[in-house]
Amino acid sequence: MTIYSLYIYDRHCTCVYYQDWHRTKLPKPAAEGGILPAVSHQVYPQPQQDTISTSDPISTYSSPRNTLSSSSGVVVAVNEEQRTTTPQPPQAQSGLSFDEEAKLVYGVVLSLRNMIKKLSGKDEQFVNYKTSTYKLHLYETLSGYKFVMLSDPNADSLRFVLRQIYSGPFLEYVVRNPLVKMDSKERGIDNEYFRTSTDRMIRGLSVFQ
Amino acid sequence: MAIFGLWVINKAGGLVYERNFGDGLPRLTSNEYLVLAGTLHGIHAITSRLSPIGPSSGAQVIEGETFKMTILLTATGTKFVLLTSLAESTADVVLQKVYEVYADAVMKNPFHTPEMPIRSEGFDRRITALLG
Repeated sequence: MTIYSLYIYDRHCTCVYYQDWHRTKLPKPAAEGGILPAVSHQVYPQPQQDTISTSDPISTYSSPRNTLSSSSGVVVAVNEEQRTTTPQPPQAQSGLSFDEEAKLVYGVVLSLRNMIKKLSGKDEQFVNYKTSTYKLHLYETLSGYKFVMLSDPNADSLRFVLRQIYSGPFLEYVVRNPLVKMDSKERGIDNEYFRTSTDRMIRGLSVFQ
Repeated sequence: MAIFGLWVINKAGGLVYERNFGDGLPRLTSNEYLVLAGTLHGIHAITSRLSPIGPSSGAQVIEGETFKMTILLTATGTKFVLLTSLAESTADVVLQKVYEVYADAVMKNPFHTPEMPIRSEGFDRRITALLG
């Protein structure tokens, strides 16, 4: 049992926040202009100088700050703090880039929501769907924000968790945060406090292991 | 524990059979059912690509607040969709039986054209006997 990822969409269909946990198949970073800034640092298109690949050590030696490197090919010291964006161990990436993936998730959620409404004949909400490897949960707020979470297929309904994220961290660090421009269509809602408190909440769940 | 409906969707996304049972869900026009079946076919394909951990099947169960749709995808691409109440726990088993009935009463029928709407009294009768 585990939780894979969280997407938040605003009422203009744009992804404003993304976070993931135990994903083994990570999305490629989004294409330039594919997502708003402040959605997720991890999938934001990265400038060229940040993508130093570990398989090409020559480029680090050529750095003028890097005076202590030996000719044996071992880096003795690097006068630079380890950046969080520098290459992580190579992980399997899904064929999709993040912006495409976010659009597909939204499309599926919206179509299913309309289908459930149509079939029920009343204002019934779509709650979740399940495949052999994951389960997708939806919680929609009255203001049109959609909270989408991917979890283990055997998890129970996680709607209450999404509601908790909304009524806890989201209200506290996004809605009541004067620095977050909601509904701007220019920026996402990512900020350190929201990310940390959401992360803490998810990690504290019994389904998260 | 109630069954509200059964759909059979061919491999191209066309609705070839549709039955409503009971009055748990309102009756829609046949055109609306065709559109919904087409949408479901598309969604099913997309859901298999969104997996966070490697290869995945398409959606198997879709839940609303008062009903759910259980989907059986056969090896040939035909989809059987059963609309039931949330408490129905035997939907998978029922769908397997529907598939058997389909194999017997539709695929073995020499007058049936594959991928075309199912108009067979025998199939209707056996589905009625199975699902009520």
